[in-house]
Amino acid sequence: MAKSIADDSAGTSTPAVPDKTVTHKPAAVLIVGAGFAGLGMAIRLQQAGINDIVILERSTEVGGTWRDNQYPGAACDIPSNLYSYSFAQNPDWSRSFSGSREILGYIHHLVKEFGLDRYIRFGKNVEQLEFDERKGLWSATTSQGEVFSGRSAVMAQGPLSNASFPDMPGIEQYKGHKIHSARWDHGYDFRGKKVAVIGTGASAIQIIPELVKEVEHLTVFQRTPGWVMPRPDFETPEWNKEIFRKLPFTQSVLRQALYLAHESMALAVIWSSPLTRIAERVGRWHLHSQVKDRWMRRQLTPNYRIGCKRVLISNDYYPALQKPNCKLITWPIYTLCENGIRSVEGIEHQFDCIVFATGFEVSKAGSPFPVIGVGGRQLNDDWSRGAQAYKSINVAGYPNLFFTFGPNSGPGHNSALVYMESQLDYAVRGIRKILGENLKMLDVKPHVQKQYNEGIQKRLAKTNWNSGCMSWYLTEDGFNATMYPGFATQYANQMKEFRDKDYLLVPG
Amino acid sequence: MAMIDLDKMLEKVKATQWALADIDWDAPGAEMITEEQWPKLKDFMVDLMWIEHVGARGFAAMAKKAPTETLRQIYSYFHAEEQRHANAEMALMKRWGMLEDGELPEPNINLRLVIEWLDRYADEMPYYVLGTVIPMLEIALDGALCTFLLETVDDPVCHQAFEKINDDESRHLGVGFTVMEMQGHNKTTIQMVKTMAPMLDPRLMLGIAAYFPLLNKMRDNVVKMGLPEEKLYAAMKKFKKIGGRTAEGRRNPWYQLIQHHGAIMVNRANRFYHVPVDAAVKATGMIPRRMLPAVPSWVKELTWEPTA
Ligand SMILES: Cc1cc2nc3c(=O)[nH]c(=O)nc-3n(C[C@H](O)[C@H](O)[C@H](O)COP(=O)(O)OP(=O)(O)OC[C@H]3O[C@@H](n4cnc5c(N)ncnc54)[C@H](O)[C@@H]3O)c2cc1C
Ligand SMILES: [Fe+2]
Ligand SMILES: [Fe+2]
Repeated sequence: MAKSIADDSAGTSTPAVPDKTVTHKPAAVLIVGAGFAGLGMAIRLQQAGINDIVILERSTEVGGTWRDNQYPGAACDIPSNLYSYSFAQNPDWSRSFSGSREILGYIHHLVKEFGLDRYIRFGKNVEQLEFDERKGLWSATTSQGEVFSGRSAVMAQGPLSNASFPDMPGIEQYKGHKIHSARWDHGYDFRGKKVAVIGTGASAIQIIPELVKEVEHLTVFQRTPGWVMPRPDFETPEWNKEIFRKLPFTQSVLRQALYLAHESMALAVIWSSPLTRIAERVGRWHLHSQVKDRWMRRQLTPNYRIGCKRVLISNDYYPALQKPNCKLITWPIYTLCENGIRSVEGIEHQFDCIVFATGFEVSKAGSPFPVIGVGGRQLNDDWSRGAQAYKSINVAGYPNLFFTFGPNSGPGHNSALVYMESQLDYAVRGIRKILGENLKMLDVKPHVQKQYNEGIQKRLAKTNWNSGCMSWYLTEDGFNATMYPGFATQYANQMKEFRDKDYLLVPG
Repeated sequence: MAMIDLDKMLEKVKATQWALADIDWDAPGAEMITEEQWPKLKDFMVDLMWIEHVGARGFAAMAKKAPTETLRQIYSYFHAEEQRHANAEMALMKRWGMLEDGELPEPNINLRLVIEWLDRYADEMPYYVLGTVIPMLEIALDGALCTFLLETVDDPVCHQAFEKINDDESRHLGVGFTVMEMQGHNKTTIQMVKTMAPMLDPRLMLGIAAYFPLLNKMRDNVVKMGLPEEKLYAAMKKFKKIGGRTAEGRRNPWYQLIQHHGAIMVNRANRFYHVPVDAAVKATGMIPRRMLPAVPSWVKELTWEPTA
């Protein structure tokens, strides 16, 4: 690991830099990732008058989630009017739940509109982030050995950006074609093919209805069924867009209404309440009205409380499963083999192509790459038993570092971008403080962080996520470092307040 | 058998899987089935395969009811494993020329009634009821029938298949008896008596009405095939012995009930039981097939083909 490189990054005269290392002049703010979070951060900083920004992006294009997830049927499952930034509303959304390409288009539009191109360094994969206490600088080392540094740093590398084939037995032996949902192979011709989809989560239920139209035969392997709710999706008529364009406040009103509607869902999804029962009834009704066969309904009935895992929404998933060229298999898979998949009922199911809709590698206990704080401490060690932060955004011992989508910031019921906006504004205030007061360190006090987390964990214990199902929200030991136990409004309120006394301030 | 560690068991189950494709169904040996054996063996295999399938459905119900995630997963595997046994037995039948292309053999009427009952009510039965009945069925029917089959059939492929099936079965029983003991553990007598409340549930009574004649019918069938009745009874005794090896196991009133029933079933002299139940077998034999509702769709998943 490129250890001492960081010390030379400020452009001091020490010549002992290895040949290939390129070091850059420190920026005010260093951002890792050019998805919604990283770009939103840059916009808000810019609006606050901070322009000395560097965004490191490992890909060659912006967009993160929406650049990577281009599988057939990919779309958001929060209405677009809410799944967008309030400071950059788009009157032209074509439908209530826009497709992936349209969302990516919106992100490109943000880049253009706010002139963010100048900040972004493409093809820079950050492998390590290290803090130099002497200089009060964060430096990021890329795979190519380049070093970028900044007075402050923002982790915006995405909660669901690392996708790879799952570690299933026999996966190496399989000779057919493999596709991961988050790295779609647009060149593959599905016509006349026998195809399997492994997984029945958020991505799978969007892929399946589209694939079934194309392939000769589709087999869906399900491990645990999810709650599937009806999806109120429709096209936005042209006159409606026109109104949004001419009278932007009408769109804000709609956004606010959608926001409140989603807030009310927290009552059903986050905590067990009479509304939870009602929501479950709606889910069961949806299943009943779309699936006639009793056994199939049984296979598709979740055995956990609604909200414990991500609630799915779809109108065409159940019908797709019942198409004559589709088959649902609920037998456990025990291995992949040369020609396909062997499941425990003893049958080898053979396929031309297997689609893995198996989700992402989520770092709940540990950081996606080494992050080194004060005194050489490693975030991986600090988080080994579950990630913790103060208000999801700062971690004691890692001064001047801001997390987007940090520990316990996940929404179960509302747009991630609503939460994101609160984080961005909080980070702006922290960063302004660092720059404005010329601080070397702005570090949250350990006991403040501890107290905050005790409160969070106490509140989490009462939520549906901690009600006994297994989900990617929880660590192996059942610790929930992912979700925020409350309304988005509560979260926004806590983020509105930046209390100096929560922090240790070290002047530069 | 001591109480087993269920987490380790789950790992073991996952690590010891097999598929129909692991067996060469066309290997020589099929000719070892004698002409005289053939028709009776066919009936026997049909029953056996359906019992496996009924067991499968039972485990599916257990999976829904399981008190822990580990058990839920174990039962999901067992559900599929029983299906595999039925599939493998169909493959044997295919090998022995007992199946037409696309044919799914008809279950006998008593099995048919049990299937109907399982489809309607199994998911609503309390965990401890299923948790005691299933080991009983496994040990009595599966156990006795399989050993018998291996004693009468010389075809090596049959032996190869049953070696695998029996390995699975030993794990089913290990878990089954452990769970029966867990249910007798740390409970007061009153709590235990309360677990008997479902006895009054008409749904369970319906189940019993289907289950008793099935046992007698199976007894008749296997005897017809030449299985000494004692074999079946020995298996019942084994259930009593293993289930009752610990105080916890014996405290489980469902165990007590079912093992008593086993004892009665074994005792042909108990006319009080056998006259009406045998009559029920006869009576059910007269139910016209077309009176029965369509078979549930889970039944149609069976296949002898190793690859799909
Ligand atoms: C299929 C799918 C559907 C979704 N639908 C919704 C929805 O409907 N509503 C909702 O609220 N949320 C949804 N989400 C969650 C979604 O991830 C977030 O809403 C949001 O897009 C995350 O933005 P981000 O910028 O934090 O991360 P990303 O969009 O993942 O962007 C992170 C960026 O960082 C880059 N990066 C990562 N690691 C490094 C590194 N080491 N060095 C340099 N660059 C790096 C990546 O290449 C990427 O461009 C969905 C997610 C998926 C996968
Ligand atoms: Fe079996
Ligand atoms: Fe069994």
